[in-house]
Amino acid sequence: MKRTFFWSFLLILVLALAACGGSAEPTAPAAAAQPGETTAEQPAEATAPPAAETAAQTIIIGFTASQTGNQNVPSTGQVNGLNLWKDTVNEAGGIELADGSKVMVDFVSYDDESNTDRVQELYTRLATEDEANFLISPYSSGLTAAAAVISEQYGKVMITTGAASDDTYQQGLTLVYQAYTPASRYLTGAVDMLESVDPEAKNVAFVYENSKFSTDVVEAARQYAEGKGYNVVLMEGYDPETTDFGPFINKIQDSQPDAIMGGGHFQDGSTFTRQLNEKNVDVGFFALLVAPPEPDFADLGDAAVGVVGPSQWEPQAAFTPDSASAAGLDWYGPLGEEFVQSYEAKFDGAEPSYHAAGGYAAGLILEKAIRDAGSTDPAAVQQALDAMNLQTFFGHIQFDTSAEAHGLQTGHSMVYIQWQKDADGNLVKEVVWPLEGATADTIYPMP
Amino acid sequence: MNSPQDSSVVGSAPKVSWREALSQNAGAYVGLILPLIIIALLTIWPTVTGKDITRESIFTIMLSIALASSLNILLGYTGYVSFGHVVFFGLGGYVGFYLMAVQGWSLWPAMAMGGLAAGLLAFLLGKAILRLRGGYFALATIGVNEAMRAFINNFEPFGGPVGMTLNFQVYRDYGGAAQALRMTFYILAAITFIVILVSYFVRMSKFGLGLLAIREDEDAAEVMGVVAPSAKTWAYVLSAIFPGILGVLFFFKNGSIEPVPAFRLNFSIEMIVMVMLGGQGTVLGPILGGIGYQSLRGYLLTSPLFKNIQLAVAGVLLLVIVLFVPAGVVGWLRNRFPVLRRILQ
Repeated sequence: MKRTFFWSFLLILVLALAACGGSAEPTAPAAAAQPGETTAEQPAEATAPPAAETAAQTIIIGFTASQTGNQNVPSTGQVNGLNLWKDTVNEAGGIELADGSKVMVDFVSYDDESNTDRVQELYTRLATEDEANFLISPYSSGLTAAAAVISEQYGKVMITTGAASDDTYQQGLTLVYQAYTPASRYLTGAVDMLESVDPEAKNVAFVYENSKFSTDVVEAARQYAEGKGYNVVLMEGYDPETTDFGPFINKIQDSQPDAIMGGGHFQDGSTFTRQLNEKNVDVGFFALLVAPPEPDFADLGDAAVGVVGPSQWEPQAAFTPDSASAAGLDWYGPLGEEFVQSYEAKFDGAEPSYHAAGGYAAGLILEKAIRDAGSTDPAAVQQALDAMNLQTFFGHIQFDTSAEAHGLQTGHSMVYIQWQKDADGNLVKEVVWPLEGATADTIYPMP
Repeated sequence: MNSPQDSSVVGSAPKVSWREALSQNAGAYVGLILPLIIIALLTIWPTVTGKDITRESIFTIMLSIALASSLNILLGYTGYVSFGHVVFFGLGGYVGFYLMAVQGWSLWPAMAMGGLAAGLLAFLLGKAILRLRGGYFALATIGVNEAMRAFINNFEPFGGPVGMTLNFQVYRDYGGAAQALRMTFYILAAITFIVILVSYFVRMSKFGLGLLAIREDEDAAEVMGVVAPSAKTWAYVLSAIFPGILGVLFFFKNGSIEPVPAFRLNFSIEMIVMVMLGGQGTVLGPILGGIGYQSLRGYLLTSPLFKNIQLAVAGVLLLVIVLFVPAGVVGWLRNRFPVLRRILQ
């Protein structure tokens, strides 16, 4: 028995030593170990000799992903989008620079476990040990705020995706650029939409998750609605772990709103929808954050019909080179359907969510900035990002360049989807707002 | 109780100078040597390697050491399991962050206020819930943490669920982000140093003996003249002040604060694991526990081999440790090699 003690202790000791050693020695660029990376590397090496004049350059892009923890689902979508972008770039031979040479792209990523404890440590590792040239943000605003401190410290440009809160970009950062529509403009379109479908509606109830993101969004929407003359009859936050929405639904029934807006993330949003349906609450308009645009929302069946949700991007989004030139913007990157096709081909037919599109878009923004800058020099790339004003399959991309809100996304805007039934009675997701991109009329009041 | 120098506190013999007292009682400080050497090595290591990543890794480790050592005063010495100890880290962090981000205070006074707020909360709580024993106390501490999180979530001056973000200008006051992060590391090292000293002197003091007596048998201790309610309360306050200060430092470095990460129950449990791993009730234990646990997790997170299954591996290893080395590393060494008992306190 004593011997067992000894050996298990020795095992721990060896592991602990190895761990310390790991941080002391320069680790070989961990890139090679990432499964799936190999496929990208081999063509890189294969194409190197013909390109020949300059040795094939590779830039490293670092990020953390929530492989575990409660942000796992959206974060995985984001990483899938990024991986697809990388493969697309590398298959095309890399990003072309001013001198005609091409750079290939490689990723280094770690698991941040959806919490902030180690985000700064991991980003420091990416910036120093792994020598990442550029960074992509983690998923969620809280983790991104912690990572931004590191990106700023080491002078690394960071493209954020999945980080919508405005206040991260209002702290005097200079190297962080947001791909998403910020939280302050997330739900305001739903208010416009309500105004358009029912000018008579006056009472709005906000029921939302008590989290940084949802509160930011709802607070901005409330101000916007009040400015338009709506009565906010209920303003109620719920705990992220809420599974019984009974008390909130009772309050909603008491306050008799024309519209309910709010929600938070996928789990609570779909539970809320189901319970609202079970209790037969009579309300004409129901807009929820995050959950409705997810393809899995259809699992709710009839309860999903009529539910509206803001989305950063939808497969039906009608952004094309034509729409870009109509708006007087440059077009860059693949068409929406090309993205969807290659995504489905790479991930066994899975439909891309907007998180996946956001991940791809973050890569695309960086790619375009490097191409415009003609080099991988951070200052030149930063300048290119400041000047960027273009349309992609993801939408319009432009950044705030003022000192107060540097890097905040000002071009991109949300689309709103509604779940409807097609002629065969199947649930389908239709874009209903803004009207110029709509694929169907809004069902109002919802059944 | 295996403390051989029961009354060896400096100053117990008023006639001799402190220098003589020190040499007379030199043996009493043997147990302090190893912990301090370890902390000193950790502090200078980043300078030796010259790498920022070493500094960042050691920051995580040292934070854990300081937190685990604070918790050890209550958990190890007094025998009260506080499952919600992160409440002090979170509350201190919030108070300090508010003062820095909204009121424009500088880091030092904000840290002091963070520690004070945590200590005050512990004092009030101690009066109320330290009457509970065993599992009931543990449950109450979880309740306190959840209640505090819910409160902060609805407390508008602290930003409610949105939390607060630090303007980057604040770092520029300390010479830029790079300087500020380096500075936080050395402040952390200094605090850890103090925590270890406090932990050691508590253990060697009469007050500490009272705590150990409470751990062994609270009723018997009271019969012997230990005023248990007050001793427990002060142990609780002492174990809460440092997490409060460290909370301010951590969230200053983090740049933003939100209720969920500030009052994360898992973090509490990790603290307990570190104390148990190293050996509860010893000065050295939480240090070894903190180093072992965090470097293991850090290694698994970034190693190419394990990074996709790091949680599973960490779980299995912890299980192995708890099954085979229940007294922690220090406890095991003390039992196995009685010679080491003087050195391993």
